[in-house]
Amino acid sequence: MIELLTGILATAVLAGGVLVLGAMGEVLAERSGVFNLGVEGLMALGAVSGIVAVAHGAPAWLGLGVAAFVAAVFGAVFAAATVILGANQTLCGLALTVAGSGLAAAAGRPYAGQPARAMFEAVSVPWLSAVPVLGRAVFTQNPVVYVVWIAAPLALHWLLFRTRWGISLRAVGEDPAAADAAGVRVVAVRMAAVVGGAALAGAGGGFLTLAYVPSWSDGIVGGRGWIVIALVIFGGFRPVNVALGAFGFGVITALGFVGQARDWAVPPAFLSMLPYLATVACMIGLRRRGAPQALGNPYNKEER
Amino acid sequence: MRLRRVASVGVWGIIVSRVASVVVALGIGGVAFALCGYDVGRLAGDVVSASFGNLFGIEDLGLLWSPLMLTGLAAAVALRIGLWNIGGEGQFYAGAIAATLVGLHVQAPLWVALGLMAVAGFAGGALWIAVPAVARAFWAVDEIITTLLLNFVAALLVGYLCTGPMRDPHQAVTAASAHIPYEIPPLLDDLHWGFAVSVALVGVVALLLGRSVWGYEVRVAGSNGRAAFYAGMPVRVRLMQVFLLSGGLAGVAGMLEVAGTVHRLQGGISNNFGYLGIMVAALAGASPLGVLPASLLLAVLLNAGIVLQSYGVSSYAVLALTGLVLFCAAVGERLAYLRMRPAA
Amino acid sequence: MDAAPAVALLGITKRFPGLVANDSIDLDVRAGEIHALLGENGAGKSTLMNILTGIYQPDGGEIRLGGAPVRFASAADAIAAGIGMVHQHFKLIRAFTVAENIHLGWGETPLAVSAAAMEARTRALAAEFGLDVRAEARVEDLSAGEQQRVEILRVLARGARVLILDEPTAVLTPGESTRLLENLRAYAGAGRAVIFISHKLDEVLAVADRITVLRAGKRVATLATAECDKARLARLMVGRDLAPAGGRSPGGAPGEVVLALEGVSAQDDRGVAALRDVSLHVRAGEILAIAGVAGNGQRELTEVVTGLRQVSAGSVRLGGQAMAGQGPAAFLAAGVGHIPEDRLRTALAPSLGVAQNAVLRGYFRPPCARGFRFSPAGAMALARRIVGEAQVFVPNLRAPVRNLSGGNQQRLVARREMAVATRLLVAAYPTRGLDIGAIETLLRFIGEARDRGVGVLMVSEELDEVLRIADRVAVLFKGRVMGVFPAAEADGERLGLLMGGQAEAA
Repeated sequence: MIELLTGILATAVLAGGVLVLGAMGEVLAERSGVFNLGVEGLMALGAVSGIVAVAHGAPAWLGLGVAAFVAAVFGAVFAAATVILGANQTLCGLALTVAGSGLAAAAGRPYAGQPARAMFEAVSVPWLSAVPVLGRAVFTQNPVVYVVWIAAPLALHWLLFRTRWGISLRAVGEDPAAADAAGVRVVAVRMAAVVGGAALAGAGGGFLTLAYVPSWSDGIVGGRGWIVIALVIFGGFRPVNVALGAFGFGVITALGFVGQARDWAVPPAFLSMLPYLATVACMIGLRRRGAPQALGNPYNKEER
Repeated sequence: MRLRRVASVGVWGIIVSRVASVVVALGIGGVAFALCGYDVGRLAGDVVSASFGNLFGIEDLGLLWSPLMLTGLAAAVALRIGLWNIGGEGQFYAGAIAATLVGLHVQAPLWVALGLMAVAGFAGGALWIAVPAVARAFWAVDEIITTLLLNFVAALLVGYLCTGPMRDPHQAVTAASAHIPYEIPPLLDDLHWGFAVSVALVGVVALLLGRSVWGYEVRVAGSNGRAAFYAGMPVRVRLMQVFLLSGGLAGVAGMLEVAGTVHRLQGGISNNFGYLGIMVAALAGASPLGVLPASLLLAVLLNAGIVLQSYGVSSYAVLALTGLVLFCAAVGERLAYLRMRPAA
Repeated sequence: MDAAPAVALLGITKRFPGLVANDSIDLDVRAGEIHALLGENGAGKSTLMNILTGIYQPDGGEIRLGGAPVRFASAADAIAAGIGMVHQHFKLIRAFTVAENIHLGWGETPLAVSAAAMEARTRALAAEFGLDVRAEARVEDLSAGEQQRVEILRVLARGARVLILDEPTAVLTPGESTRLLENLRAYAGAGRAVIFISHKLDEVLAVADRITVLRAGKRVATLATAECDKARLARLMVGRDLAPAGGRSPGGAPGEVVLALEGVSAQDDRGVAALRDVSLHVRAGEILAIAGVAGNGQRELTEVVTGLRQVSAGSVRLGGQAMAGQGPAAFLAAGVGHIPEDRLRTALAPSLGVAQNAVLRGYFRPPCARGFRFSPAGAMALARRIVGEAQVFVPNLRAPVRNLSGGNQQRLVARREMAVATRLLVAAYPTRGLDIGAIETLLRFIGEARDRGVGVLMVSEELDEVLRIADRVAVLFKGRVMGVFPAAEADGERLGLLMGGQAEAA
């Protein structure tokens, strides 16, 4: 039983970690008023970039950086179209997802199935890793995990609610016309938020192929990008709540794996369905609260 | 002279901008292929000849065009009332499952059986969209995510059914259901009557939207839900009806694929038709008649994917290209409103 | 030689697709002066000020501060240069607190700051400038007057030397307006230049030192207040003498009661009580005007009598028929037409064509429809008739209705509603945002409805209009009816007191 619990938690930390990074990025983007539906594609691009980078000799942390960078570039193109030009965010997001996933799949074919040449190794925290259950689950993980679960949500919370920049960002998401009149540079803030969010999503993809799995295969992102978007919605757009939600989903995913490994009575296909069904259930049960008022609406300064 | 935003551009302006966007996207794709060392001219030539060069090619194109027409129609009709049905993929599978179940367990003359299968296909698709529909109509839950997530569930369900309960006992190799005894008769050698049904459905929906009171209410609700309420229209009822119609249409696409082309249920038959349906709808400006040329374009692109595989390129590259086409169309829509006008 | 004016606009020109909003306008304001910018809706006042505050870029001309030319690439530049604007539609973030709004986009906000620190600083500022605001309150919970004080505080805190106020009294009660105009004197007295945009002649004459009149994008005149009177200003604003008043009913006695509200209470969208125990009636062939500052339940009242909102208590009867629990379709069938406050948001489908919108009330019967079938040709015929009556002249009835000007849209909605209003016509702020010509036409249409024997319920914040056309006047304050009396017995002072919440002596 203890073994089971430990196993589930350990997997949840990794599985959820992928989601947390992507979700933090999406919180950033959506708080500025941009509904970035391209997270799935960005994660795929990040995932494949990480694998390709380490396959060419880069250490894991550099691979993660490359993942973030590549996703940021694509995010910038998306941002230019939606924020500067005002193109429909839903269409551009879907386009980014399809194009990104397609490009990643095409680029990743030569690397499919091979284990990552470099990955993030688990590290034992002295003393704490001897604690039962939590010791192995939480304190014997790769160091990136701590950044992802602790540093990222707290930093984002601090950024959004306790800094001058956070006030501007949230204002842009609530009422860009009012923010503009107050002297905030709406376009710059939104671009920064979207590109930053894209980088985080890419890092999430990199975490997937460099820490969690760790290898690349076709369809490896498997809809996580969409779960991320849903997480942000029913996490109320608040970083810490969203991270907690991500952990919950990590547990659900882990349950699915454990069930398959232990030959539970439920067919594996249904266990795999759990995360998606749980997401739909949560979206219905925990209705949208606290969404930025201007979410999804492009801002056109001179439109009358 | 300066770039200025104009107030409206008219239908021709939109059409021109769409065509230009597609050309630009294909151009960028062509450049990318060339940079990877492929002979773009030969490639384009092969695609054209494969699609239009001979009768078989045209029929095979038709087999791709037909489901895209319906999934595109499904997404377009939802878009007219302001809804994003991204679940075409899942509804396609659900319709295929339902149709297969009926086809394998019913004893009836061919056309009766096919009719029942069609009804089952529609019902399957409608059922698959029911939960997101209710969630959206009654509790304002975003339908983009809910419809989309169910795609993954549907794919897993099909996989389970084909390797489990519905597995063909006579075949050991592929994971698929038993062969369905009722096959849609051919229109031409390879192309079956499903094509004609699809075109007919496009016409029916076009009439429904443009020439019925119901269609007028849907269009008003899509333009401004509050005004529709003000005018006494039953908005919530229309939302549900459009949702179910949209899901049902995608489900019928699944049924036609299973009864006309593949003749058994197996994984992968949806072939991204659902996702491409959104693109078709976006390119068509949510107009049912516009779905016809838009789905033809995407069918040609899918054909290009098959040709590419013979070049050793992953067919995913074509999927990426379709994403680029959609992106260019979205950007082009904004650019269409910019014109060069005199400064004074 | 005179000192250079605090701010000067020289030859400012601004174009938008389809119109020239500002055409080579000159304006100068001295330090310590209150300068009024007068003009009717659409004259270009707001555009000009948006240019001065850096929100728009001019297509031609230049801005000078203290004699030196400046360029504002953005609102931040203008704010940094000491230009502060209090907008007509407040540019506050409703979900934020007062303190957060004050600190938004402010150079003096520290990089890392907590809510408590912001609130303390805000309180100190409020004390310094003598403005009564609650730092910790969310803006969406504040009254219009309080929100305006927050806007003013924000502008003063940033050291504004040029203060611009755009129609500041539009949302205030007469009492609050008086207080504001007094404060303007104080702000100007401290050496600031104050620009005051308005279309209300009384206020302008009462408080301004000089007046600049704009008409159709051009500057028509700049005069010292002492040289003006209402008639002269009105003529300059409009370019011709105002047409004589629309006139009362030609003497026919009002008929039976078409609308009766008894003890009606209703809540607004947030669940707060918006109407409290309201009892009113409207007779056929009369106009009942509802006066009162916007936000006192007027919108909820119009929604309750057209089926867009349900009452929480009391009854609504149309021609004796109880309408409890009925929706807009039933009210339409009962012969009610509704010209809403916000036509583009409520009564029109912006992306659909003019013809499609014109038949919104008749799409389900002949000539538009027979059973399930909808006939575009039949709809076009009906649309042409309504569009003709509305005097909307557009070459193409298929063009999206959002491309029409505000006046055209309003006339279209008005005639469309009049065609179905056989019993009652409800008009909410029907002339808001329109130019003088459109206003005259709208009021004429409303008079026509009344003359035809329809009962009219009209909500308006323009007291002149109210007094000109109404038969009876009711005043709403915080959801209660403060008084109902014949228009002949109403005057500005009596209405103003009631609007401000002072109940009449029994």
